[in-house]
Amino acid sequence: MAEEQLVTFSLGSEEFAVDIMRVQEIIRIPPITRVPNAPEYIEGVINLRGNVIPVVSLATRFGMIRTEETDLSRIIVLQVQSKVFGIRVDAVTEVLHLDSESIEPPPPIAVGVDSQFIRGVGKTGERLLILLELDQIMGGD
Amino acid sequence: MIGVTSMGQDDGKNQGVELGEFLDFYLLDSQEQIERLGAGLLQLEKEGGNIGLINDLFRSAHSLKGASGTMGFTPIVEITHAAEDLLDRLRQGKMEVSLEMIDLLLAVTDRVKAMLEQVEKRQPITHGSEDLVNSMRALLNGEKPPATESTAAVLSHEEETPVDFVPIDFRLTQQESEKVDEAHNMGHGVYQIEVTLDPNTLMKAVRAVMSTQRLEGMGKVIKLIPSVEELEAGQANSFSILLVSDEPADEIKKEVLEITDITNVTVFPYLTAEPPSKEQVPAPKEVAAPSVSEPPKQTSTVKSPPAAAVTGTASGEGSTQVHTIRVDTVRMDNLINLVGEMVITRTRLVQIGLDLKAQYSTDSMVNNLNEANVYLGRLMNDLQESVMRLRMVAIGTVFNRFPRLVRDLAKKTGKEIDLVLKGEDTELDKTVVEVIGDPLMHLIRNSVDHGIESPEERRAAGKSAHGTVTLDAYHDGNHIAILISDDGGGLDLDKIKNKAISKGLIGEREELSDNDIANLIFLPGFSTADKVTDISGRGVGMDVVKKALNNLGGMVDIATRQGKGTTFTIRLPLTLAIIQALLVEVKEEIYAVPLSSVLETLLVNRSEIKTVGGLQMVQLRGNTLPLISLQEKFGLPDSEIPKDEVFVVVVGFGDKALGLIVDELRGQQEVVIKSLGDFLNNLPGIAGATILGDGKVTLILDIGSLLQDVLVTRKI
Repeated sequence: MAEEQLVTFSLGSEEFAVDIMRVQEIIRIPPITRVPNAPEYIEGVINLRGNVIPVVSLATRFGMIRTEETDLSRIIVLQVQSKVFGIRVDAVTEVLHLDSESIEPPPPIAVGVDSQFIRGVGKTGERLLILLELDQIMGGD
Repeated sequence: MIGVTSMGQDDGKNQGVELGEFLDFYLLDSQEQIERLGAGLLQLEKEGGNIGLINDLFRSAHSLKGASGTMGFTPIVEITHAAEDLLDRLRQGKMEVSLEMIDLLLAVTDRVKAMLEQVEKRQPITHGSEDLVNSMRALLNGEKPPATESTAAVLSHEEETPVDFVPIDFRLTQQESEKVDEAHNMGHGVYQIEVTLDPNTLMKAVRAVMSTQRLEGMGKVIKLIPSVEELEAGQANSFSILLVSDEPADEIKKEVLEITDITNVTVFPYLTAEPPSKEQVPAPKEVAAPSVSEPPKQTSTVKSPPAAAVTGTASGEGSTQVHTIRVDTVRMDNLINLVGEMVITRTRLVQIGLDLKAQYSTDSMVNNLNEANVYLGRLMNDLQESVMRLRMVAIGTVFNRFPRLVRDLAKKTGKEIDLVLKGEDTELDKTVVEVIGDPLMHLIRNSVDHGIESPEERRAAGKSAHGTVTLDAYHDGNHIAILISDDGGGLDLDKIKNKAISKGLIGEREELSDNDIANLIFLPGFSTADKVTDISGRGVGMDVVKKALNNLGGMVDIATRQGKGTTFTIRLPLTLAIIQALLVEVKEEIYAVPLSSVLETLLVNRSEIKTVGGLQMVQLRGNTLPLISLQEKFGLPDSEIPKDEVFVVVVGFGDKALGLIVDELRGQQEVVIKSLGDFLNNLPGIAGATILGDGKVTLILDIGSLLQDVLVTRKI
């Protein structure tokens, strides 16, 4: 039975998940430099050990209310099609395995998130996880 | 030193040289030859039958053929062989240079280039050669069938020159001597074979390997001197082989002569009757490497350590000093990155030193630290400069591809055009050289297609029918200037202005100088060409050129005179890796301004700033200086309490200037330019990013695009 390994995180009142193979690392939030004239969902750029990488505000990207930064806030650094960027999340919750069978296609009207960013919805116990379509997060539109 | 030996019954393939090792050298040299051939052909077309030039071309084709043959690339051999025949005919004065021939030979260089590309990718060669070979043959057949003997030129050297046998000191080991004696005793022939190579031969060691390989088929090669290793390291034009064989001397000679670039072969029976002691007298034959004493018990399968080869040749007369080395660009880039990281780290050290000083100003250790920092800074500067100089490349490498382009374009458009190249030696950073090719090509295409008029029009205008396009490069401070000028008809300013008005780009009654109007062509979507031609006007406008140059931190300007011609001036920074920058602060954000484009900094009273047509201006020494507020430009919040005085950083290239309104000046610093990545690389006004001493990312302003914005898009 096919199984997926996911990193889950919370943002606002929702819980999301990304494929662990796309996750390069998870870091605390460093100073972020705003980039003028960049798309609104680009929060800015950070210094990741000498490399400059963009950080996406998922809240802005998904049209959700932006949350305050807390001690639990993290940046998940992702590598998607050889491009590296970070997504800012409220907290990283866990790493879990999920049967492919318990992943359903995205509902037409997703939980407050534009469905183009959703690969599917996973169920584990009582929790609903929104699986992100990472290829769409940067660019797309 | 045993380079090539195959003793007894062992496999006999102990040459220690794989042809694959030579592939990279082959590619480099062949690509150079083909470039030379291409450039030479264009010169030939211009100057006609210049015997020196034809000889050069012939030699290029010949060594290309030879090297390709050695590597076993038959299609390249076939095609260059035919080209060589053609050039040979020219060389002998049996044919005249014709346009048809030049075209054909240029097509050959293109085809070979394509083939070499496949070789480079380690793909089999799939490009055919037959069509071109046949056309060349047909051209040759004007008088008589082409010489089928490829080595005709080589064989002409064959005439016997009676040379007395002089025994060569083969530096035989005891074991080898025994083999020779044994062969003599068994009644086998032992030959001393002296092979002379064309001095221009590339990869001489390969010829030696090939010779021994061929001779292995006829007997046993006892020894090759100088060894393959020595041949690779040195510049010897000859080598000698000791062979045991039952074949007659003539056959042996013929066999070796089959190999290209071997000009002479002499075969003598090797007389071992002579006692070895007699050979202590230095052999009169020049041998590249000096004798290296052999351990007497060395076996044939054990190779001397390479170090011995180095010392052996280095001390010898035949050794040559190496003045240049080829280095993989990846290694260079690594070096640059490391230096970049060091620059960042040193900036941190300086910051720490200053912080410490503020806290413990009396402590002498702090002063020591800061002194060391200063010294480190100087060393870093030197290191950085040296490393950057490694990456400097002459712009000629870019220019060289244009003569062919202009020639082809001129033919296609039926115009007569000379391309004049100047300042090809001007050096600039490899990163810049790599990317300016396309913008330059676009501008040249533009000059040829739109600039230069047809011969009839030119004559009617009282000009020579021949148009000239000039490409010039020179250093201008921290920048390089590249000029592309033509002596064509100049831009039709009225037409441009009308077009701009009809497209709503400018207002109808707007007063613009001629230069301003000319610069309108850089606006996106602007193209005055009434008809789309194959050459320019493929929907790619001048705005693309401008954008590409802006991305490099450069800018382009245009000057035109009706009936006289048009000049495009490109200004580019010399390097794109590490720059001096002025740090400025705007609403608590810090930006870096490349110092090379900073002209001066001013403190300006707000009351002096006037707004004209939506654009802020200030009078500076009698001139009007347009201003941009970075706070507005970058969408930052207004400050609650406006200050009476603001800092203005005056930036510009050449005679173009612009003032940037900022809150604070934060001093100058060396910064390493980092890319913002694919997602963010085309943002207006931002050229890239850098990392400051505190680890924070700071954005570098794109002065070129800011300037161009103000110069081109004047809002009414």
